[in-house]
Amino acid sequence: MDSQPTADGSNDEIVGEIADLERRLAAAKAKLARPTTIDSTANPPAARVAAGKSPPPPIPNTSSSATHFLLLLADSALPLGSFAFSSGLESYLAHSKAFLAPLPRNSNSSNGSFAAFLPVSVSSYASTTLPFVLAAHRDASSFAFVSGSSPRLARLAALDDALDAAIVCTVGRRASVAQGRALLSIWERSFVGTAPAAGAAEALKPFVALLKSSSSSSSSSSSLGTDLPPPVSAHLAPLFGAICQLVGLSLEQTAYVFMLGHIKALVSAAVRAGMFGPYQAQKTLAGGTVQGLIAAMIEREWDTPVEMAGQRVPVMDLWFGRHEVLYSRIFNS
Amino acid sequence: MESPFPKSSSAPGEGRVVAKLQPEGGSALEALAYQYPLKLISPSRPAHSTKSVLVFLLSYGGGLVGGDSVSLAVDMRPGARLSMVTQGHTKVFAPATATPNLVTRQTMRAHLAPAAALCLLPDPVQPFAASVYEQTQVFRLAPDASLCLLDWVTQGRSARGEDWSFARWTGRNEVWAVTENYHRLLVRDAVILDGAQPSPPHIMPTLRESMHAMGVVGTLILRGPLVKALADFFLAEFAALPRLGSRDFRTDADARRDAAAESVSDLEKWRRTRLLTERSTRLLWSAANVRGCVVVKFGAPTVEAGRLWVGAMLAREGSVARVFGDHALMCVR
Repeated sequence: MDSQPTADGSNDEIVGEIADLERRLAAAKAKLARPTTIDSTANPPAARVAAGKSPPPPIPNTSSSATHFLLLLADSALPLGSFAFSSGLESYLAHSKAFLAPLPRNSNSSNGSFAAFLPVSVSSYASTTLPFVLAAHRDASSFAFVSGSSPRLARLAALDDALDAAIVCTVGRRASVAQGRALLSIWERSFVGTAPAAGAAEALKPFVALLKSSSSSSSSSSSLGTDLPPPVSAHLAPLFGAICQLVGLSLEQTAYVFMLGHIKALVSAAVRAGMFGPYQAQKTLAGGTVQGLIAAMIEREWDTPVEMAGQRVPVMDLWFGRHEVLYSRIFNS
Repeated sequence: MESPFPKSSSAPGEGRVVAKLQPEGGSALEALAYQYPLKLISPSRPAHSTKSVLVFLLSYGGGLVGGDSVSLAVDMRPGARLSMVTQGHTKVFAPATATPNLVTRQTMRAHLAPAAALCLLPDPVQPFAASVYEQTQVFRLAPDASLCLLDWVTQGRSARGEDWSFARWTGRNEVWAVTENYHRLLVRDAVILDGAQPSPPHIMPTLRESMHAMGVVGTLILRGPLVKALADFFLAEFAALPRLGSRDFRTDADARRDAAAESVSDLEKWRRTRLLTERSTRLLWSAANVRGCVVVKFGAPTVEAGRLWVGAMLAREGSVARVFGDHALMCVR
């Protein structure tokens, strides 16, 4: 794997971050491997020490626990349901066939059109959602577990609400909310008990309560004559930022995993849409293009306030929105 | 035509429009003030016969020069109806070469009292090569206020070979629901068109490439009881779009002949003709209900195709002419 993407001076920091992440990944894998060795030799740790072997690995500290959660959140098996969404790829393919002039760089092969779609999709996804991930992570850090989590709740709910107002496409809203709710379920049912940070267990409870109350009261509020939207919808981006913070991921790691998750879902959708096979998929994921894209997107959106987030690829809104009018669909978006 | 109202002594580029409902019926201007480079003209005679008061949004010299800043405040009294139009594209000139990053700004803040209605159907913004433009439009709507807003931008002077050749264009439209008790953001639609060197280079497409041969992109935002029928019309027509990828083996000519021979409703005939035009002009559009607003996105290779389509949709449904009068539609005909 090429871990040294071509870097100009401005990318050094992120390239360093990537290298650091990979080092930690390797370290974590090594740690995971060690207990297996112990098990296979069936030696209790005391016996190993007595036998003059190296001491057992230390009890997981916060940073190794964070690495553990990093691996879980980056895992394709994380049940977010991402496989159901193609983020406009399916619609793009249908429109390319039916309507659009080929891209200037587009070759005739299907791989060519994926190569053209990937950067615009990543750019569009980053410009519309990444500021919300970053803001939620930063907010969560700044309200570190004060008793009575109302400021935390208010900020997370406000981010969720602002994103709900900014996704102006039915299909995009459906995809974002479905994955956000899935992530919230994973948090509640699976992560919450083992999250390392003190107070983490309580952190999202008010949000969940607000979500439940708003989905049950949505009918009653409309009967009052107001057509105001529910207070929270549970979009993926802000919840991803908040939950990554709660399990100890750094801001950089959070942004990286978020963008990588989008790309992995796209590549996986391309495989299932028959654009290329699994080896080409892994080659794409491992390649310098993907690494360079993620680094550039994180750098571009690092300081973007959520109020200034916006669509950089207008035609993406059209592909996304017009997924509804496809004759045959294998994806939900 | 001369404005009957005196110019104010506010800051350069500032303007103010106040529209009211007259006691004897019909809308009129309570105030109209502007400062260079902004120019506002209202040819309407206060009369019962005008359905809405008309204001031309102009600029001296027919465009905005680099560094110009225009800031318009619109206040609408209860029940007032106001239409705002332009005379030709809003041209945005490049800043002087000595100050290449000088931003040209256009800001509009509108407050709509209960039952007021604002129709903003201008010509598109035409940013020239190397121009830098930021547009912010914030609409605060009291209950039962109505808004019809069109915001569109072109590739520039295509006759001179300009094709998304400007340095940067950002457009942000916010719609808020406002009462004494709350201010709630409903929609924040933002588009960022960045002509800067793409990053990573050779991977991220240029702005021109990412526009996919569109020559104009636009957004129509609809909210409120007076444009509800129009909003529903867009949603219904979007739902009625033919499924992309389904096969129609007839030629266009045969389809036209069949359409003529078949006994179908007027609406169906109109729709079929429109769909053929959409196809031949390669116009793409989508519509979505976003938190009580209907947001329509469209893009077309030529400005005229976009104008034709918007004009045909608005004319066919008829609400705009009925509520605001024919003069509201002069830019989309």
